[in-house]
Amino acid sequence: MSKLFNKVLVANRSEIAVRVMNACRVLGIPSVAVYSDADAHSKHRYYADESVHIGPPPPRESYLDIEKIIAAAKATGADAIHPGYGFLAENPLLARRCVEEGITFIGPTPDAIRLLGNKVESRLTMADAGIPLIPGMKDSSGDIEAFRAAAETAGYPVMIKAAAGGGGKGMRVVHSPEELTSAVEAAQREAGNAFGDDTVYLEKYIVNPRHIEFQVLADTHGNTVHVFERECSIQRRHQKIIEESPSVAVDDQLRARMGASAVKVAQAAGYVNAGTVEFLLDATGNYYFLEMNTRIQVEHPVTEMVTGTDLVVEQIRIAAGERLSEAFLNLAQRGHAIECRIYAEDGENNFMPSTGEIVHYSEPVGPGIRVDSGVMHGSQITIDYDPVMAKLIVHAPTREMCINKMISALNNYKILGVRTSKKFMIDCMSHEAFRQGRTYTNFIEVNMADRDISLDGYRDMAVAAASASAISRPKTVASGGDGRVRQPSPWEAIGPWQIGDSIDE
Amino acid sequence: MSSLEFLFEGEVVDATVERRSQAIAVTTGGREIVLFPAGENLFSAQVNGRKVSIAAVRHKDRYYVDIDSVLVELSEPSAEMTSSGVGDAGEADKIYAPMPGKVVKILVEVGQDVAEKTPMVIVEAMKMENQVNAKAKGKVIAVNFKAGDQVDTETPIIELELEAAEGESG
Repeated sequence: MSKLFNKVLVANRSEIAVRVMNACRVLGIPSVAVYSDADAHSKHRYYADESVHIGPPPPRESYLDIEKIIAAAKATGADAIHPGYGFLAENPLLARRCVEEGITFIGPTPDAIRLLGNKVESRLTMADAGIPLIPGMKDSSGDIEAFRAAAETAGYPVMIKAAAGGGGKGMRVVHSPEELTSAVEAAQREAGNAFGDDTVYLEKYIVNPRHIEFQVLADTHGNTVHVFERECSIQRRHQKIIEESPSVAVDDQLRARMGASAVKVAQAAGYVNAGTVEFLLDATGNYYFLEMNTRIQVEHPVTEMVTGTDLVVEQIRIAAGERLSEAFLNLAQRGHAIECRIYAEDGENNFMPSTGEIVHYSEPVGPGIRVDSGVMHGSQITIDYDPVMAKLIVHAPTREMCINKMISALNNYKILGVRTSKKFMIDCMSHEAFRQGRTYTNFIEVNMADRDISLDGYRDMAVAAASASAISRPKTVASGGDGRVRQPSPWEAIGPWQIGDSIDE
Repeated sequence: MSSLEFLFEGEVVDATVERRSQAIAVTTGGREIVLFPAGENLFSAQVNGRKVSIAAVRHKDRYYVDIDSVLVELSEPSAEMTSSGVGDAGEADKIYAPMPGKVVKILVEVGQDVAEKTPMVIVEAMKMENQVNAKAKGKVIAVNFKAGDQVDTETPIIELELEAAEGESG
């Protein structure tokens, strides 16, 4: 196999950077990491074959600085850039600069990113293509009276969304006219901070919907396929935490209809490479186009698990001009897969971001268990970046077995020093409503509100665990000023030596 | 056998520990719990006919524990008890950031009367906005930060003079 690219620069950090580097390695392509001062010792930096420093911790001065990314690619001789998700992944300017510099952007064209990244314009395109849409504002406006009029027409509750948005940022649900002004302002501020564009719009808020999305892939030879659905209804603050495939709400007939719509969306946008078409599915089987994400998604592994494919490898192949692999022309869903996102956040305190040092890290292992992680022992979790540390994905023959396997795997995934939502997600998946597949986007509000978070029953076990730790501590060889126990380096243990000779003094 | 003491949820709890071959037997709260080492910082236990996976590590005078995904922190009673700094419910006259971040907008002015749950300030951290509301009725007497300022959790952003609880007709 001749190499598809000489070298790929990964313009991202943490788990997705590591994931892309793995795909490069599978294809025999060297990878380049970029890192800010905050990431000088982070996992992704040393996971690559070489690494380039691109500036201070604030994203605007490092991971969002297009010219620094381009310069890093040129300095290392990288002929392709993979943007991961977040940061510059859906910024058409990076894709365009790549074209200008003769570097391959591993993703869609700048025009497709621009069109689909503008939620207002993409709605118009999809309406023309006959894709079902949620009622709401036809265009965006800064005028609060336009929002008020649109809200009255669609009927409360309504949703305010960022035109350039994604990931729950710049989104607000408004239940009554009194809340409208402050919600629009807050959404504008969040959108401005997160995306550098404070345009927001309004649409009807569908009650009790499921979030169903379809993975699509399109090559440069005119082949566009969908790779089935993912259900991502379990969300907190409009951010997904648990994703699965297949969805219990999608039968073969609905899958065929929604999949055909997803392919049509991609074709209407002139889409190439991997993307995700998001729909809301209501209780009666009506579905509405939400948006198309022009990137590899956080939750792509559940699709890979049920189809036995590698979507990131396929992204790289497509970018190099290859035809879709045989595997994608003859797809089948096998078994069930679930992903849990491991955020640095306090699942027992309103998902407040949690910062600190990871003082213990160990992953679960076993058949059908996959960990995509960007952290390790000693990693510092700061407020500079998004709090996704890792993802745990499991695969099993049935949904019920998959849930049981996931709970066991979460219990054996140990991250200490920062808080996570592991227990929260276990409580979600243990709930009757989840087991029975009653997974709507309001699942957490409805089912988790009166969750018991008391530690009363855990005192004896906690004390026993601390006691066991206290008497099991490794012998201290040297201790830094921070009181951290340091393991001796093998080089220290060996003592002075010299290649090919012994030292006689 | 050794005796140990821990601070758990503000309560001093004692334990006796003894090694039994590979296992570690801990007696606390009037019962014995046997832990089996399962890797560095890892243990397992069999409690009421069910396997429990445990991780425990000591770091800077604190013990971080995960018991089947329930996260617990303990400390040694001798260690100085550090205040989290986050204003607790009893401190209704001071408005703190829920975590270190940037002030997005101050929603009140000095001299303004506020009711309980009045939005006071919006703080952004990790790209999410968090609105902090008043915990009690009162008058704003100090605003210590402005939009754009970095804040920690130890310094009050806004201070209130609380209205006497029985102040009104009731």
